Amino acid sequence: MVEIIVDGKKIKAREGNYLLRELKKNGFKIPALCDHLAVEPWGGCRLCLVKITKEDWKGWSKIVASCLYPVEDGLIVLTKDKEVEEARKEVLNLMVARSPQTPKVLELAKEYGIEKTSYEEYKEPTDCILCGLCTRICDQLGMSAISLVGRGIGREVAPPFNLEPPDCIGCLSCAYICPTNFIKFEENEKKRKIWGKEFEKLLCKNCGCGIVTKAEAEYFSKKQGIDPTVFELCDKCKREIYSKKFEELQK
Amino acid sequence: MEKIYRVETYKCISCGKCELACGFAHSKDGKAGTSRIKIKKIGIEKGMPVVCFQCVEALCVKSCPVGALVRNEETGAVDLLEEKCIRCKMCVVSCPFGNIQWDENFEAVAKCDLCKGDPQCVPFCPTKALSYY
Repeated sequence: MVEIIVDGKKIKAREGNYLLRELKKNGFKIPALCDHLAVEPWGGCRLCLVKITKEDWKGWSKIVASCLYPVEDGLIVLTKDKEVEEARKEVLNLMVARSPQTPKVLELAKEYGIEKTSYEEYKEPTDCILCGLCTRICDQLGMSAISLVGRGIGREVAPPFNLEPPDCIGCLSCAYICPTNFIKFEENEKKRKIWGKEFEKLLCKNCGCGIVTKAEAEYFSKKQGIDPTVFELCDKCKREIYSKKFEELQK
Repeated sequence: MEKIYRVETYKCISCGKCELACGFAHSKDGKAGTSRIKIKKIGIEKGMPVVCFQCVEALCVKSCPVGALVRNEETGAVDLLEEKCIRCKMCVVSCPFGNIQWDENFEAVAKCDLCKGDPQCVPFCPTKALSYY
């Protein structure tokens, strides 16, 4: 553990850990849209900017994305500096230009005093802020069914060739991890549809309700080493069976 | 030493107070959460409470692909780190006892965490079917 100074307050942090996570752990509020504990940081949204300096840097300082900066001994961090606020404001300004109808972005922008972007708004506004959380979680789970494609203004999240992704197992992790709810899916008791691909759900043998998809159950039971027979019943039916068993034991 | 969360099923009168207490203890923004403890009625004023066993070799922990379910060394419970959870629902289907549920309201996994060492259901149980000592 090393000691760092954040906004004049001394805190203890583990050397080499990423700054943003250490700051969050210590209760500092820093805006970030592309950070999630389940994936490695990526520096996608550029909102977690902070100013860093050290005593022996002779007054020199720099602005870094705290999600990717490793903690060093004697670091002096400023999270509410004027330059930092301005840098974040500019990032949000650009984000509002891209996503002028996204509640999460507008909410953050309002905190920094932006009601309307000073840039030209996108002609086709999108909720996707290209934070890459969906593609990163998909990579981490071992599927890589979707990825960021294209460059510049045409960059987007998509399955290969915008067709049904062959590797997708329909686990919905991308949809739930999305900070702006851009990824849409349809779901009912028996089926689930995401990225244009339809999945059959694994149905409970007893009541017929489905919680996860067949592909998901198959993949994760293999990957995590779980006997697939435990997936046969839903949680409700399992509870029913076990409460009956306990009842018998009680007699 | 760790405390023990004890359920004496023969004392349960299926009044449902523990379910209410649990729902409120896990409420957010004024909305009650799904109760982690469930009572199955088995007769007049008789019930069978079913709640997470906090298994030593827990299948939910094994099934989680991102390690969002971890053992809390202080309470001995298996805690769900909500910030890490990706909501793939694998724990919901892998629990052999069905004690992990999907909370439709919050779109989150509902799992008993022994309220971080102070189970809220215990003081509300009128017959002391639930105890923590």
